[in-house]
Amino acid sequence: MSDYFAGIDIGSTMTKVVIMNDGIISSIIGPTGPEQRRLANRVMENALNQAGLPFDAITYLVATGYGRINVPFADKQVTEISCHAKGVAHLFPECKTIIDIGGQDSKGITIDHGRPTDFVMNDKCAAGTGRFLEVIAEALEITIEACGGMALKSKEPAQISNICTVFAEQEVVARLAEGVPLNDLVAGILESLASRISRMVKRLKVANEVVITGGGAKNAGLVKALSDKLGYATLVPPEPLITGAVGAALLGKDIVQKATKNSLPLERKKRSLEEIEIL
Amino acid sequence: MAEEEKKQERKKRRTATEAASSIGAMVKAAIGGTVKAKEEGKKLAYSFIVCSYDEIIRAMDVVPVWTENYAGVCGAKRDAERFLERAESQSFSRSLCTYALCGLGFDQWREELGEMPPDAPWGGQARPDFMLSSGQILCDPRNKWYQAAQQYMPDVPIYDVGLPYPLYEDDIEVADVQDYYIKYIVAELRGLVKFLEEQTGKKMDYDRLSELVDLGERTWNLIWETYELRRAVPTPMGTGDAMNTMVPMVFMMGTQEAYDFYLDLNKELKDKIARKEGVVEDEKYRLLWGGGLPSWFALTDFNYFNSKGAVFPVETTYRMIEPIYRLNMPDTNDPIERLAWRWLGYWTYWYDKAKKRPGSEPDVERLIQYIEDYQIDGVVMHEAFSCRTWHLGLIWQLNQLRKIYKPIPVLILGQDGKKGEEKRELPSLILESDIIDISTYSEVDTRNRIDAFIETLEQVRKNKADRR
Repeated sequence: MSDYFAGIDIGSTMTKVVIMNDGIISSIIGPTGPEQRRLANRVMENALNQAGLPFDAITYLVATGYGRINVPFADKQVTEISCHAKGVAHLFPECKTIIDIGGQDSKGITIDHGRPTDFVMNDKCAAGTGRFLEVIAEALEITIEACGGMALKSKEPAQISNICTVFAEQEVVARLAEGVPLNDLVAGILESLASRISRMVKRLKVANEVVITGGGAKNAGLVKALSDKLGYATLVPPEPLITGAVGAALLGKDIVQKATKNSLPLERKKRSLEEIEIL
Repeated sequence: MAEEEKKQERKKRRTATEAASSIGAMVKAAIGGTVKAKEEGKKLAYSFIVCSYDEIIRAMDVVPVWTENYAGVCGAKRDAERFLERAESQSFSRSLCTYALCGLGFDQWREELGEMPPDAPWGGQARPDFMLSSGQILCDPRNKWYQAAQQYMPDVPIYDVGLPYPLYEDDIEVADVQDYYIKYIVAELRGLVKFLEEQTGKKMDYDRLSELVDLGERTWNLIWETYELRRAVPTPMGTGDAMNTMVPMVFMMGTQEAYDFYLDLNKELKDKIARKEGVVEDEKYRLLWGGGLPSWFALTDFNYFNSKGAVFPVETTYRMIEPIYRLNMPDTNDPIERLAWRWLGYWTYWYDKAKKRPGSEPDVERLIQYIEDYQIDGVVMHEAFSCRTWHLGLIWQLNQLRKIYKPIPVLILGQDGKKGEEKRELPSLILESDIIDISTYSEVDTRNRIDAFIETLEQVRKNKADRR
């Protein structure tokens, strides 16, 4: 009978679940919110249904992300730094630098053989995260998904000088009223976001290969702007949202293999899909 | 035990040393002492720490009121917000130094009421007879805070002591310019003596001042020797405790009480080392607190590090001393000159070392020295948003450290006796919050970062083990 390993990554805006044996057999992405976080068990349930597995079939389950602490059915909690390192290295074995652009934070991680060696994190200011883009997209009445393509069409990105999300929103609206083309405004916004992220990441010793993950990686305009600012070509996984969950599942696999090899006992939680208690 | 007492007991932070646990009562007594001294008619002076003139104040029997300390106490008791808000309502920006804002809010309230604000922490901050500003080149509140406070206390005079030191440049020798600086600092300190004589109606007793400067110098040496004991593995005392044991160093210099405190601490640490008793039972990671004032309301974060097996044997924060015998002070019997040389010697102590390493700077050199002396696995810094003076340079220091220190290959001898080479890897963590403004702090985010940092340290160690 195969061993199955699950990773659940409860981020600030999305919950991701991956189930693996030798490869990924199931992956689900669902929203996280005040109510949804409590119901992350349902995302887990969906992933099990997709894989056609009962919960008992999961040999080991690792939780990561901001919501990792209060997942009653997780066997272990590991931070997203270690999980992203493991997950990205699995997909890109030569990766040395990871940039994760999440909904409400962004991170830079340097790795060596799939293990983090240093990291920086912005969880203080929305201006360096996906939230910045959400606010601006809403102000411009466009979808986030459309931003990337629009920015790539711009020949003269607008200068956005405000570093605060709220004031940048006002500035964008004012520039729009001045007649600045929408594509140029969006390109300017992405450049501004890329600039903030690259400044943070440059605190690390950036080296090739550079991989971008998180929701921000789905935005081609942002990826290009970030590559330009960093001076490095960047790679994006096929599904950049699930690398943390993939890493969590793989770390679970490592734990089980190590325990088996050394005949160590393995602590596992009850496989019950209870609602997650909000502390 | 009364319910309230139980609550207080739960709140008390766990310390590794008896010395650190005694500090709360000491600070409380000192603050209460200023209120009592005021009632007894003694002269009180608002003062800044690390001012170099502690012994002058003591010799003149002036009672210092350490305004930064009181703001820190308000922060630690999580009771600074109402004073910060009051300062804001007086049109002071929240982005200014929050120590200053807290003090200004408190002063405004006390002056408006004509008595201490309600439930003022530890009895409140006594009204001064005069205020001693103490410019230190970079920290503007040390000049501007008391000027701003004067609008609430227009009858309270200020003496502004300028205490410069030559900023580091790798092509300038301190010896070429030091006489000019000493002349200036001595003139400033003599001006202070004159001001205090006018305010107190007493003449300075220079023999007594000499005795206190002697005592201060012996205390500097004793602190240095005592803190160096923390090199031991496991370390007997961490930075969490050092944020307490700094109290006699910065608030009581030139007093026998301070000297005796470090004598006791020295003995306590030696005893702990002899018993191989560390801050934690299983010391896994040794960290350097590489700068930044702490969040006084979140000192339990140090305990959180400890719960993960991480200890801080050393810190740059509040280690405001160097061994006197290494400061190249000339022989002089003039206590004022000795204070001036001590000041200059302290601030330029790392200059010569920095010159020997291309790309280095004194602050970076100090980090490197501590990393090596204390067998450090990682560096933690705290960016406190409201202290521009100090915290602005921290990230730059980390960057320089990476450039000039981390990439250097280290020769190692493997278990098989074969020589190998590996790169130094020194993960770093930057915490972001403030000294007393609790609205900037998120325990969840902070501890998430700490968790990630501990995992990184573990992974770096595994990588090293795999390579051997």
